Amino acid sequence: MTRVLPLHESLKLLERYGIPVAEYALAKTADEAVEAANRIGYPVVLKLVSPTITHKTDVGGVVVGLKSPDEVKQAYNKIIDNVKKLRPDAVIKGILVQKQVEKGIEVIVGGIRDDVFGAAVMFGLGGVFVEVLRDVSFRIPPFSVNDALEMMQEIKGYKLLKGFRNIPPADLNALANIIVKVGEIMINEKEIKELDINPIIALPRGAVAVDARAVVKD
Amino acid sequence: MARRDLDVFFNPSSVAIVGASPKRGKVGHVILANFVRGFRGKVFAVNPKYKEILGVPCYPRVTDIPEPVDLAVIAVRAHAVPEIVADCVKKGVKGIVIISGGFSEIGPEGAELERKIIETVKGTGIRIIGPNCLGVYNAYTGVDTFFLPEGRMKRPPAGPIAIISQSGAFAAALLDWAAQEGIGISKVVSYGNKIDVDDVDLIEYFGEDPDIKVITIYIEGIKPGRGRLFIDAAKKVIKEKAIIVLKGGKTKSGTAAAASHTAALSSDYAVFSAAMRQAGILEATSFEDMFDMAVALAKQPPARGPNVAVITNAGGLGVLAADALESLGLKLPRLSPESVAELRDKMPPYVSLRNPIDLVGDATDERYSDALDVVLRDPNVDMAIVIALLQVPGVTLRLADVIASKAREYGKPVLAVTVGGKFVEIFIENLEDAGIPTYTTPERAARAAWALYKYGMIKRGEQP
Repeated sequence: MTRVLPLHESLKLLERYGIPVAEYALAKTADEAVEAANRIGYPVVLKLVSPTITHKTDVGGVVVGLKSPDEVKQAYNKIIDNVKKLRPDAVIKGILVQKQVEKGIEVIVGGIRDDVFGAAVMFGLGGVFVEVLRDVSFRIPPFSVNDALEMMQEIKGYKLLKGFRNIPPADLNALANIIVKVGEIMINEKEIKELDINPIIALPRGAVAVDARAVVKD
Repeated sequence: MARRDLDVFFNPSSVAIVGASPKRGKVGHVILANFVRGFRGKVFAVNPKYKEILGVPCYPRVTDIPEPVDLAVIAVRAHAVPEIVADCVKKGVKGIVIISGGFSEIGPEGAELERKIIETVKGTGIRIIGPNCLGVYNAYTGVDTFFLPEGRMKRPPAGPIAIISQSGAFAAALLDWAAQEGIGISKVVSYGNKIDVDDVDLIEYFGEDPDIKVITIYIEGIKPGRGRLFIDAAKKVIKEKAIIVLKGGKTKSGTAAAASHTAALSSDYAVFSAAMRQAGILEATSFEDMFDMAVALAKQPPARGPNVAVITNAGGLGVLAADALESLGLKLPRLSPESVAELRDKMPPYVSLRNPIDLVGDATDERYSDALDVVLRDPNVDMAIVIALLQVPGVTLRLADVIASKAREYGKPVLAVTVGGKFVEIFIENLEDAGIPTYTTPERAARAAWALYKYGMIKRGEQP
């Protein structure tokens, strides 16, 4: 059997491997959320952390663009209300307060287990690119930063990462480093069956993971 | 690390054919006949019913053979195989090829027989190819366990290409076809259920074989857990020898009920294909594509870059070649100003000096020769495709030698394209004999050019 790691634990795993993660804290009350937001700095995003709800957006579990303590407090209570209304039986571990990352290109990096090759790492652009066009590429870990750079070139959406019209080029080396580290996670953390880091925000300088889901063996 | 342990399959001193038969059409007859015809070492037959078959002494059991036996080839019913393998262990054979089918491919009963065999040879150092396979073919030593009579499956001339095939029928069809095309094949292994020797072993072994320049592999699946070793084995070999793989069974999709995007988006084939690229293995799209690339890699040096000059006496085919090359990521560079000036000097005014270079319908051998001189000397050009239609009067069969000598002189890869009937077949033969890979369509030549370009990058370590 498998289970999904709570969001803050998945993010902690990424941090252990040196993958940059948008600053976050887990709050159990509205006051704790405000305190965390004050510490992290505005704007922030609130995200429901629940082991029983896999798609947090479906239950109104995510609120973005919060710019003040009042907004954080309201959003906190709203998420709790939403969940209680839509899924009264859900277990709520708390609410993640996270720094809202500036706009960039959304990418997905993931890992899977493969019977033949042991593990594989996937790269793709976020949103429609993966979901509709299935525009992704794979590598078998361990591999080098150069392999990761090549892996990015293999997707059709690569042009976007190189800069297109008003979109500035993304920091490809920062992304390549994250891809290599996901390979290391898949090699070292044998209990992880699947891993999604979705999205990672690719910026002109650096790249930051904002959401992650690790599926582990129970 | 030397892989001498597989030598026994390709260069044994003595062979026992277990299940040998005097009856024409029987598997045990064809295999014995193959060895009697072509094998230089000692041959023994094993079958309790006979004293002698095809002039070869026949013994009831392997253990009755009075001399040492290196290799045993087993072609009897599946249920009798474990006992024969036990005899082979007693006899001290070094390698066993199990041709027989009726093992794990038919179900748990067959899988149990395989388990027994593996158990029997455990710790003995004996290597096994098969079961459920055609086995081994070596053009140099006459080892030939393919149970297809010479009349049905021609054997190709010895040459620099090796074949590893999960499918026996595929290997047989390839050999027959290669013989027809005059493509030189040195060693072939059809390994069937691969209970022991598999792709990883064979890549490592062929990697050290000086007779082999190109390894072609038809594969349906790598054994679970062997994937990383497959990549590592290939990586060690690809600087010396090109590896081309054709994957059968690409359609199986990923887990539908996946909890993550990654699992939902992945498929066995997507992962396989990525692994091949990572290992520096070229992936073929079809049987024909595999050999088009293999012949180019066997006969021509790898290209230094993606720039192809196309020389043609048929404008349309030149345009098609340009389209095909560009769709594969290759380039048709402008020639250097010096080259253009030189061509203007040597060519009639109506010849197009832009790449593709159209020598037009009245082109002669000399015009091709002059154009090749200029183009192959040009630093902007990494390789050339020569399209020559022989239906026009100006070009002769001698053009084959012209093309080959220019290719040798400048050391850049050259491929040819020609189309036509009987007369053209002689031209193709002349070209191939002179070492110029020749194709009947510009698209096929473009794929071969792509292989030379890619392999050049792989060899120089630019990729992966």
